[in-house]
Amino acid sequence: MNSSYKIFLWLSIQIPLITYGQGFQVNLQGQVQQGMGGAGTACMQDASSLFFNPGGASFVRGTSFNVGVTPTFARGAFMDDKTHEVSRTNSPVSTPFAAYGLFEMKDSARLKMGLAVYTPFGSTVQWEDNWTGRFALTRLELRAIFVQPTISYKITKLIGIGAGIVYATGKVNLQKDIPLTDANGNYGHAELSGKAQGFGFNVGIYFTPIEKISIGVTYRSKVKMAVNNGQANFTVPAGVSTNFPDGSFKSELPLPSVTSLGLGFKPTNKLDFTLDINYVGWKAYDTLSFDYMNNTTSLVDTKSARMYKNTFAFRGGVQYKPTGAFVARLGLAYGITPVQDGYVTPETPDANRVNYTAGIGYHIGKHLDIDASFLFTHLERTDTNKETNLSGTFKTNVCAPGISIGYKF
Amino acid sequence: MTIQQFSFVIIGLGLLSACKPKFDTPDPDNGNIDVSNYVALGSAITAGYANGGLYYEAQQNSYAAILAEQFKLVGGGEFKIPHVSPASIGVGSGNNAPSRLGDRTDCLGAVSLGPVKIASQGDILVFSNIVFNQGPFNNMSVPDMKITDANVNGLSNPFYQRMASSTSSSVLSDAVFKNPTFFSIMLGLDDALNFAIKGAASGSLTPVSGSAGIGFEASLIQVIDQLSSNGSKGVIANIPNIRNLAYFNTIAWNALKLDATSAANLTSFYSSLDGTTFHEGDNGFVIMDSKNPFLGFRQSVQGELILLNTPLDSIKCHKWGSLIPIPDRYSLTLSEIDSIEDAINAYNVILKNVANSRGLAFVDVNAFFEKVKIGFIYNGVNVNAAFVSGGFYSLDGLNLTPRGNALLANEFIKAINAHYNSTIPETNAMKYPAVIFP
Repeated sequence: MNSSYKIFLWLSIQIPLITYGQGFQVNLQGQVQQGMGGAGTACMQDASSLFFNPGGASFVRGTSFNVGVTPTFARGAFMDDKTHEVSRTNSPVSTPFAAYGLFEMKDSARLKMGLAVYTPFGSTVQWEDNWTGRFALTRLELRAIFVQPTISYKITKLIGIGAGIVYATGKVNLQKDIPLTDANGNYGHAELSGKAQGFGFNVGIYFTPIEKISIGVTYRSKVKMAVNNGQANFTVPAGVSTNFPDGSFKSELPLPSVTSLGLGFKPTNKLDFTLDINYVGWKAYDTLSFDYMNNTTSLVDTKSARMYKNTFAFRGGVQYKPTGAFVARLGLAYGITPVQDGYVTPETPDANRVNYTAGIGYHIGKHLDIDASFLFTHLERTDTNKETNLSGTFKTNVCAPGISIGYKF
Repeated sequence: MTIQQFSFVIIGLGLLSACKPKFDTPDPDNGNIDVSNYVALGSAITAGYANGGLYYEAQQNSYAAILAEQFKLVGGGEFKIPHVSPASIGVGSGNNAPSRLGDRTDCLGAVSLGPVKIASQGDILVFSNIVFNQGPFNNMSVPDMKITDANVNGLSNPFYQRMASSTSSSVLSDAVFKNPTFFSIMLGLDDALNFAIKGAASGSLTPVSGSAGIGFEASLIQVIDQLSSNGSKGVIANIPNIRNLAYFNTIAWNALKLDATSAANLTSFYSSLDGTTFHEGDNGFVIMDSKNPFLGFRQSVQGELILLNTPLDSIKCHKWGSLIPIPDRYSLTLSEIDSIEDAINAYNVILKNVANSRGLAFVDVNAFFEKVKIGFIYNGVNVNAAFVSGGFYSLDGLNLTPRGNALLANEFIKAINAHYNSTIPETNAMKYPAVIFP
């Protein structure tokens, strides 16, 4: 006979993961393209075309190297619509970088080999202590590095194709508070960290049907980032520590496919226009699951609906070369958020967005290029999350100045 | 080039400083009420009683105190509470000490987390430590006070006597003396609860009719008429159905778990009595029921309630609920529940009607407690009526945790804002803890 009532602690540790929504699509992969709204599918300028269109890389002259970094300053805030309390992020600066090497083959000028190393996403969101959404998320740190060996082949003078294999490696560290209080008023805390790996590919075609016009089509595949042996650590009042055993966990995050169509128009030698349409396969991110090795009544495996939808981004830019050495660029991009109403979270306070970009470049002699870019975007979204009922307005401002150095011969 | 780069850096820095997002925070507005002198009238919940006792920290976290804190955003003044000394452990209605969560060893030697009394007895000096000279008070709430007690001169309630302005004053006269500009009333729960928590074995339900001091309606009208005699406005709450309270729904009516052998033995034993049969698995407890003419006991049926204060060791080791019927004071039968629910429903009709007729704001606390029973998620945290883990009820199963009180205060704020065109911000209830874990 056992009729005791149990203290049944149901406490879901629903850990959201990383996503950068359209943020992933910010395209901080090349300073030239950034200056032009992030468009680059049909505008081959330097070794960064290994990312933007492997098919067009064979059209870039000679052998070239390009290294760039784009320190990204993101400042977020949230106003709870019931209390009007404003919470802010204290996120550190993130430093996405990109490095490209594009090599002309001695035997065949048509064939190029390349290696691209870049960080398509990677940043830290740190909310201030004790913020309203602390039980949804306090900190998310994400780093992912893509390594992409690539072959590009110029079939004719008019058309080139290319393909790269993507090996993605990254790490994630996600933290949130647990609503269990000890006698000193301290709340519990959960920290999930792990390394993730995934594979994908990047293929493209570049085509110049007539002089002054270029067309690019690329497909960057989905990369399934799998965390197979993550470590979950819990800090809770001693009396319930057995309910929250430290241990390993599994999860995975799909980074979406991107299909791009680009158009380039070069009316004169001094002027370039370029336009990209991206179709992003965010529908792959419909559920976020966490599978804990050591389950208890309090620590149960979770499945959280994310319900992302496929989405578009439109990018356009112009480049002007008044003199032989100096280049100026302006661009604009509009991204439609993949996050549906009811699914906005503190790690992805995503919204439809306009990116304003500008850039300058300078050629030092025949070999060296220096390019700088600047991006500003503002996000604003009012929502009530269906899972957490966190209700209010998120605002984020992102400023991303960047600089790159290119060398070609 | 250096000049160009330099200018780029300058522009960049300028834009970076503009990077901090700004909000146009709406200014809180008091609408057409004056909350500068807010008086709360109620019983245990409003007084801040929690975990089975009245103590300093709990008093500071009553929904009334939290409400007063939010009122300060729209001109609210000091909220005087008849504090128990911060050094005191506090005291409960039965002179008991408040409880906290700790390890308990049951009769079988099993250790588990559960409510443990802080001391063998409460601090009864609380009752003799007269605090009236610190008054008059804004929180005029008195644990165990029925609506019919509110205007009893010299009320013999020890929680009142420590704060009474004189031996011949009443709770209501003291509240009126404070001359409130705004008041809240959450009275009536004890008129039913006092009977219900004793398993309907002693005490009685306050009748609806009858003169002030006897009947519910007349007593309520007297309270409101006197409190609003100076023209002040206020808010009235209705009271929760007992089925929603953790005290009544933590131990299931059929939590008698039997193996096949025990079930067969009990069936055999009862075959000569009333023929009750038992089976492997969950069975209804055997309870005392004086309405059962032959035996005075029977097996409980679905819908009946076993109370939180039922001694579990007696069930586990001393055959309570199986060979020995659970005493009447620890259970509510269907007919007892009916009479209690009928009374509460009648009180709630009156509370609603009086709020409407007097033009006062009305908080549907009953609907809110129902919502808690079903459970909801607040800023990423589950809130429900489950004992301890639900975060809403304190360890006495009747009164609330600070978090529960904050959520209740928000219900008051919503009702006040809707009725009086005010825009008082809600509080972030997650700033307040639930049950404290060791």
